[in-house]
Amino acid sequence: MSALACTVCIDLPKGWTVISSVRDYFNTGKHSLYLFIIPIVLYLIFFFLYPVIYEIYISFFDYSLGSPKTFIGLQNYVLMAHDVQFLHSLVTTVIFVVSAVGTELLFGLGIALLLNYESRLMNVIRTVILIPTVFTPLVAGLVWKALYNPDLGVISYYLRVLGIPIGRGLTVERSTALFSVILVDVWEWTPLIVIIILAGLKSLPREPYEAGVIDGASARQLFRYVTLPLLRPTIIVALLIRSMDALKIFDIIWAITGGGPGTSTTVANLRIFQVGVQQLRIGYASALSNVLLVMSVLVGVFFIHILYSKKYGGVR
Amino acid sequence: MITTTSSRLRGALLHGARGLMLTGIIVFVLFPIFWMVTTAFKQRIDMFILPPQWIFKPTIANFKFILSTMSVGRWVLNSGLISLGTMALSLLLGVPAGYAFSRIHFRGKRILLTFILLTRALPPVVIVLPFRVIMQWLGLFGTRTAVILIDTVYDAAFTAWLMSGMFESIPVDIEDAALVDGCSPIQAFWRIILPLSKPGLVTASLFTFILSWNDFLFALTLTSPETATLPIGMLSTYGILNQGWTYMMALGCLAIVPVVFISLLLQRYYVSGLTFGGIK
Repeated sequence: MSALACTVCIDLPKGWTVISSVRDYFNTGKHSLYLFIIPIVLYLIFFFLYPVIYEIYISFFDYSLGSPKTFIGLQNYVLMAHDVQFLHSLVTTVIFVVSAVGTELLFGLGIALLLNYESRLMNVIRTVILIPTVFTPLVAGLVWKALYNPDLGVISYYLRVLGIPIGRGLTVERSTALFSVILVDVWEWTPLIVIIILAGLKSLPREPYEAGVIDGASARQLFRYVTLPLLRPTIIVALLIRSMDALKIFDIIWAITGGGPGTSTTVANLRIFQVGVQQLRIGYASALSNVLLVMSVLVGVFFIHILYSKKYGGVR
Repeated sequence: MITTTSSRLRGALLHGARGLMLTGIIVFVLFPIFWMVTTAFKQRIDMFILPPQWIFKPTIANFKFILSTMSVGRWVLNSGLISLGTMALSLLLGVPAGYAFSRIHFRGKRILLTFILLTRALPPVVIVLPFRVIMQWLGLFGTRTAVILIDTVYDAAFTAWLMSGMFESIPVDIEDAALVDGCSPIQAFWRIILPLSKPGLVTASLFTFILSWNDFLFALTLTSPETATLPIGMLSTYGILNQGWTYMMALGCLAIVPVVFISLLLQRYYVSGLTFGGIK
């Protein structure tokens, strides 16, 4: 850069030399680009960092909205350790995230391989499968709730016609309620994984395949020993994006089961909402939130780490 | 001879299996959408007939009913204002920040970017509780501004990340040339770099709009009946219209149509946003 800048500057008046390179200008000049960063940093400090810190702070208090707060130290956390309902909701969350994201990855990989060739039909299909990802999650939930309806729902009707026992209904039976909300998440978000993996497939180098074919590898071997390893970084990114978002699940479950029957679909988000927004026990809800916060931050930090080491193809 | 026949048969079988799977996928993806749209045009009585009626006389009575008896106009207005407000504020905060991140290097930049990206991982339910308390202090509880402010936390951060990637793909030499020609750095950014980064700007606008439009939890916690958005409106009808699916699906169509339409229209940009700007 400096070499280029100097050759340009020779004929210029003295003051111009400084600003002939934007990087130099902004790194040394007084009109610094730092001014461009300050607003968003201030905004996030006030509306992101401050609420999180306040939430951590208030978790050491007995505080309900409208009543004075009293410092109780770790008592909220002691209470939490014995709160069967919350611990159960954590387990439900983990089951939800692992099965939803796992299924989405499996389907997503399969569908991406099916769609991975160029034709007009494939282009249309690739467009159509995007529609669920734009769906307002609450609306998606309400649509599926109606489909699942035990008496008049289309899904219930055809399952009964096919002779599949669904008891009082998929969303009403404890054994199938969680499965039925996972299916909706799979419907809405598998396409995202398909799109990410398709981009990864497109960016794969050709040489390993040519070498593999020359060495007499079968299609299955090519997939197992060439495609999968090369795709690994892309798959990890897809997994992390989906895990972060699945940890936030709220709307769909709220719409379909409201956490029931019993507490069979009450994920941590829902439990925290019940305690914090409905019962207004802010202090205790904050303590619960911190557990979720730690889980999310761990996944998030791992994701960002991967995002920086730009080793994977397709997805930056 | 035998081998060619059997391999041809195998090829045909594979082809058939592939077609079958693709059909299955399409049906699975489209069926709920198809059901929602057809239900919105069904007469209420058709809903209670089993087996489900797939051929019926369409009616727009449901739309007429919801438009005449509910505050649909206000919900649409609130959703629109909140989404547009979030979009504007996010671009205002995120675009300059993205530019700065792509052009200057300083100590702690990576930590700052990590901090910004961490917003993506933050479960809404964690932040909405303290946020609600803060909004009450500020006297903003129940206003559209409150929802815009919390949506922007996520969307401004997203925009900054997306745009820094966009700006990085524009060589810094272009601005240098502009400076030599007598532009000020701000002018170079405004007149040359911004027009060049139109794809990123479209993606950021589209995505911040959709994220905000689709929000439910923040609106549920922070709005009043006056400032309720479409999803909240849908929910409020739920109790009144006992199994009034036809009405609810008509409302659902109103909520979905704008976002589906613009995302299909701007599909390339939408995909780019979905994948954190990974696919250009």
